[in-house]
Amino acid sequence: MTVRERKQSVFVRLIKYRWLYLLGFPGMAIIFLFNYLPMGSLIMAFEEYDPWVGLINSPFVGLKHFAKLFNDPKFFLMLRNTLTISALSLLTFPAPIILALLLNEVRSAAFKKTIQTTIYLPHFLSWTIVVSLTFFLLSSEQGLINKIIISGGGTAHSFLFDKSIIYYILVIQSVWKGVGWGSIVYLAAIAGIDQGLYEAAKIDGANKFQSIIHITLPCILPTVAVMLILKMGSIISVDFEQVLLMTNALVKDKLEVFEVYIYNNGVKSGSTQFSYTTAIGMFKSVVSTILVISTNRIVSSNGMKGII
Amino acid sequence: MTQDIARSTSKGKQFRRLGMKASENIYQLIIGFLLALLAATMVLPFLYIIVISFTDSTAYTSGMFYLWPKKWSLEAYVLILSGKGFINALKASLFITFVGTPINVCANAGLAYMLSKDELVGRKLINRLVMFTMLFGAGMIPNFINIKNLGLINSWFANILPSACGAWTVMVMKSFFQELPRDLEEAAEIDGCGTIRMFFRIVLPLSLAMLATFTLFAFVSYWNCYFSAILYLTSSSKQPLQVYLQKLVLSTDISEVVDVADDLAKKVPQEVMRMASLVVVVFPILCIYPFMQKYFAKGVMVGAVKG
Repeated sequence: MTVRERKQSVFVRLIKYRWLYLLGFPGMAIIFLFNYLPMGSLIMAFEEYDPWVGLINSPFVGLKHFAKLFNDPKFFLMLRNTLTISALSLLTFPAPIILALLLNEVRSAAFKKTIQTTIYLPHFLSWTIVVSLTFFLLSSEQGLINKIIISGGGTAHSFLFDKSIIYYILVIQSVWKGVGWGSIVYLAAIAGIDQGLYEAAKIDGANKFQSIIHITLPCILPTVAVMLILKMGSIISVDFEQVLLMTNALVKDKLEVFEVYIYNNGVKSGSTQFSYTTAIGMFKSVVSTILVISTNRIVSSNGMKGII
Repeated sequence: MTQDIARSTSKGKQFRRLGMKASENIYQLIIGFLLALLAATMVLPFLYIIVISFTDSTAYTSGMFYLWPKKWSLEAYVLILSGKGFINALKASLFITFVGTPINVCANAGLAYMLSKDELVGRKLINRLVMFTMLFGAGMIPNFINIKNLGLINSWFANILPSACGAWTVMVMKSFFQELPRDLEEAAEIDGCGTIRMFFRIVLPLSLAMLATFTLFAFVSYWNCYFSAILYLTSSSKQPLQVYLQKLVLSTDISEVVDVADDLAKKVPQEVMRMASLVVVVFPILCIYPFMQKYFAKGVMVGAVKG
C-alpha cells in the first residue's frame, strides 16, 4: 500500500475494489446467512420459546434451562457417553502413526501406492455406507460373521444389540474409516526428515528398528504433539452421524450423546423442547469452543505453529 | 596366513551381506503382509457384497456365504433401478451433488481470492469473521429454525447452501492464491484486465489442480449428505440416496422403500436387494476415486494440512 493509497478515503477504496467484493459476495452471504444468522436464535436458550409469539416476545427465563440441564441425570449420562467414546478413540491415536511408519519402510513404490490407494478410500465413504457394511458383517441373520459361526456349529450372536461391545464397534469403525487418511500427515512429516541422519546412523551401526526409535520418532514428535493436542480439543464432540446410525432400542442408553438427544427431543418432537435443547446445544458449543481455543493456544505457545 | 585372514574376512563380509539381504527381504515381507492385511479389510467386505448382490435368487440360500456366485443374475439391480423409491432418491442425490458442487467451489474460490488481496478494506475483519465459524456454531436447533425462516425446509438447497462455503476450504484456497506468482496479475492489470476477468482467465486456470481437489471434495460431501437430509427434507420422496440406503438396510419391510409391487419384491431375497443397493450408492464414489488419487501426491492435501 503506497502513501497515496493510504490517504484515499475508505469510500474511494471500497469503490476501487468493488469487483473483488463482488467475487467474495456469494461466499460472504452464505457464511452470514447460515453461520451468523442462526446465532440470533440462541436467545431461545434463555427464554420459554413459543413459535406462535416469536423469538422477541417469548417470555425471558434467564438461566433456567441451564440450571435444569445441570440437574438432569440425562445430562451426566450424555457427558459420560461422550467422554467414554472420546477416550476410547484417543486410545487409537497411535494407529495412523504406526501405519505411516510401516508405509515408510516399504521399498517397492508400486506396492506402497497400491496400499495407499486402498486405505485412503474409506475416508470418502459416508457413515451410511460404513454402518451398512457393519450390518452386513455383524447382523444376527444376515451378518457374515454369524453365518460363519453357524456353519461352524455355533450359535448366532447379535453383536449390534450388545451393550457391552457397542463402543468397540464404534471405535473399530472409526479406525477403519480414518486410519489411512490420518497417516498422510505423518507420512508428510517423515518425508521431511533429513536423509543424512539415517546415513549417519547406518555408519554408526544402527539397525532399522534403532533408526526408527532414535531418528524417525523424535523427528515427527512435534507433529504428533500437535495432532494429539488438536484431538484433545474435540474431546466433547463425537461423530454423531455414526452414533445416530448405530443407535437401536437395546443400546440406546450407551449411545445417547448431546446431538442425538437434541435431534430426538428438539427436532422430532416439535417446538415444545426448542428452548431446552438449544440450551444443551449451546452448552456443548461453548465448551468445545473453549477447548479448541485453549488447545490452539498450547500449540502455538510451544512454537509449533509452523507444523499445522 | 595374512592372505587367509583377508580372504576369510572378505568371505565373512559377503556372508554378512547375504544375511543382511535375506533379513531385509524378510523384513519387507512382514511389513508387506501387515499392510496387505489392513488393505484386505477394506477390499474384502466390498467383494463379498458385490458377489452376493449378483447372485441369482434361485441359487441363493439364506444363511450361506459365497466367495463366488453359483449363478450370476442382475435381477436385484433391475428391481432396484425400476423402483420409484430409487428413482426419486437418485434425482435428489444428483440435484444436490451437481447443483451443489459448482456453487460450493465458486463461493469458496471467490471469497478466498478476495481475502488473498492484502490491500482490501476490511479484509482483516472479514477474515476473522470467517475463521470464527470454525470455532463456534449455533447448533442444531438454531440452524433448523433458521432454515425454516428462510423457507428452505423441504428444499434441496437446504442441503446445498449451509455447507457451500466453509472456513477451512477458504483458508486453504486463500493461501494457495497468495502463493501464485504476482507478475502475471500485474502484467494483466497493466494491459487493462479487470478483476473479474483476471480471476476467471488468469487466476483460476493457474489453480486447476487445487480446484479439482476441492471439486472432488465437494462432490463427495454432497453425495454423502445424510443428516442434513433427514433434518431438513420432510417429504420422503425428496430424500437422497444415503437416506434410501439407510432405510433399505435397516427397515424390515423393504418393498415399501424400494416402491415396487409386492410380488415383484418377493422374488429377490431381501439380503441380495440390500447389498445391491449399497453397491449402487457407493458406485459413483468408486468411479471418481481414481481421479482424486491423482491429486493426493501433488501435495495439495499436505499443503492443506500445513495451511
